[in-house]
Amino acid sequence: MTTRATRSPRRRTVIALLVVLTVIAAFVVRLVDIQVVNASDHIEQSQELASGTEITLRGTRGDIVDADGSVLATSTLVYDVSIDPQLAAHGISRRDADGKIVKGADGKPEVIAWPELAARIAAVTGQAPEDVTAIVVDKLASDPASRWAQVKRYVSTETYRELAALDLPFLTFTAVPSRTYPDGAVAGNVIGFLNSDGDALEGVEKLQNSCLAAQNGTLTYQRGRDGVKIPGTEVEKAAVDGGTLQLTLDSDLQWYMQQLISEETARYNAEWGGIVVMEVATGKIRAFAETASVDPNDPGASEADDRGSRLARFSYEPGSTFKPVTAATAIEKAGLTHLSSVVVPSKMTFDNGAVINDSEQHATETMTLTGGLVRSSNVAMSQFGALVDPQTRYEYLTKFGVGEKTALNWSGEPDTGFRLLPKDWDNQTYYTTTFGQAFTVTATQVASVYQTIANGGVRMPAQLVESCTRADGTVVEPDLPEPVRVIEESTADEVGLMLENVFAQGTLADDIKIDGYRMAGKTGTAQIYNGKGGYKKNLYFTSLVGYAPAEDPQYVVLTVFDEPKKERMSSANRSVFKKAMTQVLKHYRIMPSESETPLLPLTD
Amino acid sequence: MSVNAWDSDLLVAPFPRTEPARREDVDRRLHAVDAPAAARRPRLLYGVIAVAGAVAIAGAQMGLSILTTQGSYEIKELTAQQRTVDWQKQILADDVAGLSSPQYLAANAAALGMVTGQPPSYLRLSDGEVIGAGTAAPGTSSIEALKKAAVPNALAGGVPLVTDPDSSLAAGVAAETELVIDPAVPPAVADGLPTPRTH
Repeated sequence: MTTRATRSPRRRTVIALLVVLTVIAAFVVRLVDIQVVNASDHIEQSQELASGTEITLRGTRGDIVDADGSVLATSTLVYDVSIDPQLAAHGISRRDADGKIVKGADGKPEVIAWPELAARIAAVTGQAPEDVTAIVVDKLASDPASRWAQVKRYVSTETYRELAALDLPFLTFTAVPSRTYPDGAVAGNVIGFLNSDGDALEGVEKLQNSCLAAQNGTLTYQRGRDGVKIPGTEVEKAAVDGGTLQLTLDSDLQWYMQQLISEETARYNAEWGGIVVMEVATGKIRAFAETASVDPNDPGASEADDRGSRLARFSYEPGSTFKPVTAATAIEKAGLTHLSSVVVPSKMTFDNGAVINDSEQHATETMTLTGGLVRSSNVAMSQFGALVDPQTRYEYLTKFGVGEKTALNWSGEPDTGFRLLPKDWDNQTYYTTTFGQAFTVTATQVASVYQTIANGGVRMPAQLVESCTRADGTVVEPDLPEPVRVIEESTADEVGLMLENVFAQGTLADDIKIDGYRMAGKTGTAQIYNGKGGYKKNLYFTSLVGYAPAEDPQYVVLTVFDEPKKERMSSANRSVFKKAMTQVLKHYRIMPSESETPLLPLTD
Repeated sequence: MSVNAWDSDLLVAPFPRTEPARREDVDRRLHAVDAPAAARRPRLLYGVIAVAGAVAIAGAQMGLSILTTQGSYEIKELTAQQRTVDWQKQILADDVAGLSSPQYLAANAAALGMVTGQPPSYLRLSDGEVIGAGTAAPGTSSIEALKKAAVPNALAGGVPLVTDPDSSLAAGVAAETELVIDPAVPPAVADGLPTPRTH
């Protein structure tokens, strides 16, 4: 039973309760707003304005190592030295051996003046004393309230410790991550370098930056009013060090090839030269040497053009080194053998009007396919090549890698390939494509052609990067294209045998023979475009490429010269090829052959 | 005026009670509480335990605090030691950097008169047969690792050779120029190839 009297207090209670609930609800809404909805903003603000402190934890950039694990690039610290000009100008009190302040005659502490202190600093940093003195004097002259000036950047740890031992309160030191390359210019063209801000500018330093770069972490904590860290408030997001990048290069072999190509380039007065050593079974590049490689420790010492890799960025019409491709195509598609023959004059006018010359005058003779390769006859290869339709020849060249990007995926890799598609080939191009003209390739692609022939017809992707081992130990292999079956194994064997005869019966035989080893290969003297619609007169891009031991091929060696002037033809490459191949055979402990090259007939 | 249970609770709630209110009490009239039961004499033991516990806790806390403080001093000292050792390690690493490089080793070998570049020969252990050229090394080297050293290394440049302290690899030429990377532009293939002269 409810009366007015009993209802009244109850209503009051209910109203009071409602009011209380409303207030609580308002607080709850605000609480949720602060703690959940805008939480991150407030945390940020508190970190920024109030008690929080955030410290950046620096990760270390990963090392670059060669195939054996020798370090080619590693990270270290250097130091920037700064000074507080105002404090420095006041000098410091002189102290005696016991550390007591020496007082002058007037009872005041004796002061060591700035110029004397500057001389002490200069003695350590190697600067001129007057220069160091001027840093403070000039700074104060331009800005009397100045509290900061740079003394020297990037000093070594040793210099830093010696400066710190001077115990000058106005010097400060900032550690700066830096890169050091123990082997200097060995593989400098491949490794590349960083700028002073630590950004990768060239080479695998840049291409593989995602593997090498470290991720910085943070350490946040709160401080009390007196600046003391409040225990238990530390939140650490650890820095992740960069991964270790392993290259396929062998630093010792790489050094030898760089030294060799430099000496030989000077000897033959060439513009530049290069050597590529590629493993037959894998396509891994063991040496990628060229003249004037940059020393990544000091890239400023190199000319701007020498700081990248010419060898990776240069493309050319390969010329005769592509004649074996024509031979392989004709064997598979026209049913030729090494004994098939054609009549070869030194100059020939074809039915379509094209005129093809051989480089040297010779009597008309009946040459076998082997003879065409050994004598490097354009006329012979034009006739053999013409037995196959242009589209098929184009497809074979493409399968050998022409017109593709190499798997190296190098920055600034040139656009290579065909100038015209087969249906657009003019009468001249119809024949010149049989001996390596009317399309361009890189040196790596030429090495790959010989790797394919040596490897029984399977082209392996050219490879400079072995793997990336991340900081947590996971090994990431590079994503490479699949191997390509280019020609049948029997075709590869037959072409290989003919290439052996090039080395055994060609004019270069005596100059490149390495006692005890069977070798196979081919020369090339490519014309160089002069930029004006023609070729440079009497200047060539010469190459000599081969592999050994021919009965069980292990390594392809390619040597190139740009415009040698002491000997202008590929004969310039003989000594460098022989020395390079000898070193490769010795370096990899490859046993001599136990058989002789079977000699094939060159004429019919 | 009848008072229901709810109001009664409100009325009596503020007063201290010796025993909890029960439903039957609600209708009784108010009355004075009985004299409180005589408090039992507190046992000494409990007091001793409580005080001893408090003292033990305070002592332990103090001990821990001292240990922590002492530990942090030790950590500080060890950290300082580690830093010094790190510096030393870095200084030493800087000192030897470049000395293991192939060009420095080869230059040392060349200074001793060693030559390289000959085709390899192997001795087969089973029958003692020499495989390969088997000829003596000629007096000339295929490369001149010292006199014509062509692979610079700023770290080893100017460092005296171990085998011939009078000579050293040349230091790199310092040319402070702007680092601008300009990828070589590949030569374009022109229209109209002239008559080939490739061989």
